[in-house]
Amino acid sequence: MSSNKQNPSVDPVIVIALGIALMAIAFALLVFKPNVQSLTLTAGSGAWSQLVVAFVTGITTGGLSCLAVQGGLLASSLAHQIEQDYIEQAAINKKAKQKTLKHTNTAFPILLFLIAKLVAYTLLGALLGWLGSFLTLSPMTRAILMIAIGIFMIGNALRMFNVHPIFRYFSIEPPKFITRYIRRTAKGTDTVTPLFLGALTVFIPCGITQAMMATALGSGSILMGAALMFAFVLGTSPVFFIIAYLTTELGARLEKFFMRFVALVVLILGFTTLNSGLNVLGSPLSFQNLTRNLISSNSDSVPVSESPQPSATDSSIFLSVKNDGYFPRTLSAPADKALTLNLVTNQTYSCARDFVIPSLNVYQLLPDTGTMQVSIPAQPKGTTLFFTCSMGMYTGQIVFQ
Amino acid sequence: MKKIFNVPDMTCPNCAMHLEGLEDEIPGVKRITASYKKLIMEVEFDETQLTIEQIILAANEIGYHPEITPA
Repeated sequence: MSSNKQNPSVDPVIVIALGIALMAIAFALLVFKPNVQSLTLTAGSGAWSQLVVAFVTGITTGGLSCLAVQGGLLASSLAHQIEQDYIEQAAINKKAKQKTLKHTNTAFPILLFLIAKLVAYTLLGALLGWLGSFLTLSPMTRAILMIAIGIFMIGNALRMFNVHPIFRYFSIEPPKFITRYIRRTAKGTDTVTPLFLGALTVFIPCGITQAMMATALGSGSILMGAALMFAFVLGTSPVFFIIAYLTTELGARLEKFFMRFVALVVLILGFTTLNSGLNVLGSPLSFQNLTRNLISSNSDSVPVSESPQPSATDSSIFLSVKNDGYFPRTLSAPADKALTLNLVTNQTYSCARDFVIPSLNVYQLLPDTGTMQVSIPAQPKGTTLFFTCSMGMYTGQIVFQ
Repeated sequence: MKKIFNVPDMTCPNCAMHLEGLEDEIPGVKRITASYKKLIMEVEFDETQLTIEQIILAANEIGYHPEITPA
């Protein structure tokens, strides 16, 4: 009789507003960094910067990549919602003997799906962090892991571009019993379906998510693991929400274009991850190490005697460790002479604090402010020692002359 | 009866999931196992209830074009 009461679903405007609010929170987190010193999620490392990196990775590429992999699950819950709305509407129209077209509310299941995904991945992050507390990933192990993930992502991108059938082997197919279970659950008839499907996405993580899971494992802390995955999935959520919403609204016309775009992003990120792995490995083949000598200017290279610190001596060199990297990026040092490398930090909270010289097996976590000394044994003339942060993001070299 | 089809238009692992979903939709199908890596779909069905053409038609409806592999 009262057809208006038959549709209890939430107004899409409210849900979209929630989505926008989610984005606003996300950007606020980016812009207003809290006092880093108060954040002690992990033993002394730049926890906040890691979370920001996780979040930015999520908001820039994670959302697209995850949507490519997990879009099917989301589509299942949306299809169900659309189908249910259609049946409800048909019943209403039949009763009212009229032909009106009600707009399907796809925003609400997307939101439920994303909330469940956020919770599930946060718990997964905690679990990985807990497992990681039993393991210690050396820079070398991390480098190999990053290189493997980079190759996996590049292979996946080439698969999406349909370059060669061999790249189909870069896709991870979940076990059949899981997909069968997920599929049958997707046919559920209540609002719990999108929640449950969102939680099930932990079983089909995309390449970028897998990389983030490796980072959570490497954090070795329950809290940090959970926070990393939370930040990452929170970052993916606005993109996931907007694109999923627009895609369902605009139809499949954009799908082909969208997949190419995702493939391109994954390809770029794959190369970036591979490159970071090469940096952590101390390889001269990384992009920075290959191009540094080609494009370096004299001002970028500072010999020992001209180091910025007044106390520099023949046997000690200084490296300024800042939030955006190491300065100077190229240090000159005398050959055949043992040296002391002074690493100077001043309110440095980025991953630059996790200082690594791969070839000497030096790994040092620096204080956020202060000076830490690293002994460098005598090196023959012409040797180049590459140094990097533990993530392979910031790099530099010491050239022995 | 078991029949293997080539499905050249699978583009991702999710396509395999979509095709396998047909086993819940078509009466007479016992099991469908699809592989994105091999671009094939193996269908186990009751030939007294269902024909190969009907299976192909059902796949066409969800956007895939299976081809019968030579025996």
